[in-house]
Amino acid sequence: MSTAPPSLAQPAPAAQTARNAEYHGYLQALLAGDRRGCQDVVEHWLAAGTHVRVLYEELFRRSLYEVGTQWEQGRVSVATEHSATAISEGLLNLVYPALFNQPRVGLAAVVACSANEYHQIGGKMVADVFELHGWRGYFLGANTPLCDLLALIREKQPAAVALSLTVHFNFDALLNFISAIRTAFPTVTMLVGGQAFQHADQQQLAQFNDVHHVASLTDLETWITARTLACRPTM
Amino acid sequence: MDHGPDIGMQTDDVMARAVLAAVLFHAPVLVIRFDAAQRVTFTNTYAQRMLGHALRERTLAALLVEFSPAIDLRALLAQPDATHMLTLRTAAGVPESFMFRFFPVADETLAVGYLDVQEQRRLQEEVLLLNQTLNNLTRQLQQANAELRDLNQLKNVFLGMAAHDLRNPLGVILTYTGFILDEASARLTAEQCGFLSTCQNAAASMQRLIGDFLDVAMIESGALRIEPAPVSIAAIIANVLQLARLLAAKKNVALHLPEIPDEWRIMADGPKLEQVILNLVSNAIEYSRPGQHVWLSTRWAPPALTLAVCDEGPGIAPADQACLFTAFAHTGARKTAGERSVGLGLVIARKIIEAHHGRIWVESVPGHGATFSFTVPIHATDTLTPRNHG
Repeated sequence: MSTAPPSLAQPAPAAQTARNAEYHGYLQALLAGDRRGCQDVVEHWLAAGTHVRVLYEELFRRSLYEVGTQWEQGRVSVATEHSATAISEGLLNLVYPALFNQPRVGLAAVVACSANEYHQIGGKMVADVFELHGWRGYFLGANTPLCDLLALIREKQPAAVALSLTVHFNFDALLNFISAIRTAFPTVTMLVGGQAFQHADQQQLAQFNDVHHVASLTDLETWITARTLACRPTM
Repeated sequence: MDHGPDIGMQTDDVMARAVLAAVLFHAPVLVIRFDAAQRVTFTNTYAQRMLGHALRERTLAALLVEFSPAIDLRALLAQPDATHMLTLRTAAGVPESFMFRFFPVADETLAVGYLDVQEQRRLQEEVLLLNQTLNNLTRQLQQANAELRDLNQLKNVFLGMAAHDLRNPLGVILTYTGFILDEASARLTAEQCGFLSTCQNAAASMQRLIGDFLDVAMIESGALRIEPAPVSIAAIIANVLQLARLLAAKKNVALHLPEIPDEWRIMADGPKLEQVILNLVSNAIEYSRPGQHVWLSTRWAPPALTLAVCDEGPGIAPADQACLFTAFAHTGARKTAGERSVGLGLVIARKIIEAHHGRIWVESVPGHGATFSFTVPIHATDTLTPRNHG
């Protein structure tokens, strides 16, 4: 029988309520531009042994999606949205000391945002989840030039290339990236994901071989675990 | 004078009042009126929020940041269609650049200012981009550090394995050359004995080197173990002397040692402390010329025992002193009889002393020798003797 680590197991109802209350406190601090207040919550969760993926899903991703929704509804300004993103991204740095010390499995992934895509935090969290599972997660940042991406794939020979897309408007640019990567690297697995896929026609991905949509960080972890096992040398 | 495009409004009183109220109380526009003496007589809500409330009677020059060039309102009014960028001190204490136009109203002047939104937007985008870049670089740095740690660990494992595997065949070489020299030298020529001695010395030198490599590999992998036990300082020094006297005699270097009371005992790893002292004394001898002196001194001053080794060698340049206790550090000075060194002895010494919660350092003036000192703690249970020996 396998048991999930305590930090990943479903928390008790009281703990879930407390965590939810902390999330709302974090969200209010984030909307108010209170970096210190946000940092306190992150540090508290980390000190409590919260799994990094839970932190990413339940704090960073959830709050940023909420900020995005409020922006779409005209309840917060562009400046507030930018401030929330900048604060969240800065807080990711708190996780890194633990993140990069995982035992290595000898696999690498290259993670990038396509051309004109300036929202990079989602892609960075994806690269971090690879690190969490012992992969090297190389992250190229926002608005990656295609030539830089191809050069890094050539250099690192990754087992997977992950492309993040936040703004649906850039979907065609993403398809161009996939096409170029597939031409240059016929066998590399490609993963795509991000907020833009809430509105995108995923059927368009079917024209490419071995390109998969990953809907959440949980799904990504499932994929990484399976691929790690598949690549493990047999005795 | 250009009054702007016709926006199709009826300029009746109601409309005019509405526009005026909007500008004065709600719009992000600075409205400041100056009298003929160029002093503030009115500010709107936005101006008070941005620049503070105590603006009355202040001149335009007093609103500007200190380094602004002298400005005369009359000169600005002479260019009625021009927009002027002026940097004002805001209530928040930071300077802010506003675009101003100036209008004459009877003998007074009305100044209307606004922030350049495009400029603010460019700035915001630049800051966001820099923030992203900084965060990405932070991530890359952490990742690169982790990769370096992994590589270093791999290097230590390799070094440890290689050194361990080399040590056994070297042991065989040393043993059998020793046997031959002891038992068959009578049947060998002097030249053949000399060859064997050279083989033995080279193998012994290599064995010491391998010992250093193993020590460093062990230290860097965090496997350095200190096994404290009550040890006699006199006994440690006596052990060191057995080897040091041979070295000193061979180079005709005078070795001066203190008398150390038997009751000086501390909790320490004796063999490792011995290794440190032997390293310092050997270095001192190897950097000395024939006829020079090396002094070893000790000071028992709770809570620490200090041991120092002083020589009359070439000394160490200040720039070299800073990196002397790091791996593979070399100074400009050469050992006087061409003795070989890979520069690991002092880093091993530092690690051993630090593992004892002590400190090691060097003091030197180039051309006037060097003094290497270290301290190790004296614990409450250790023997206390209020005497110094040097």
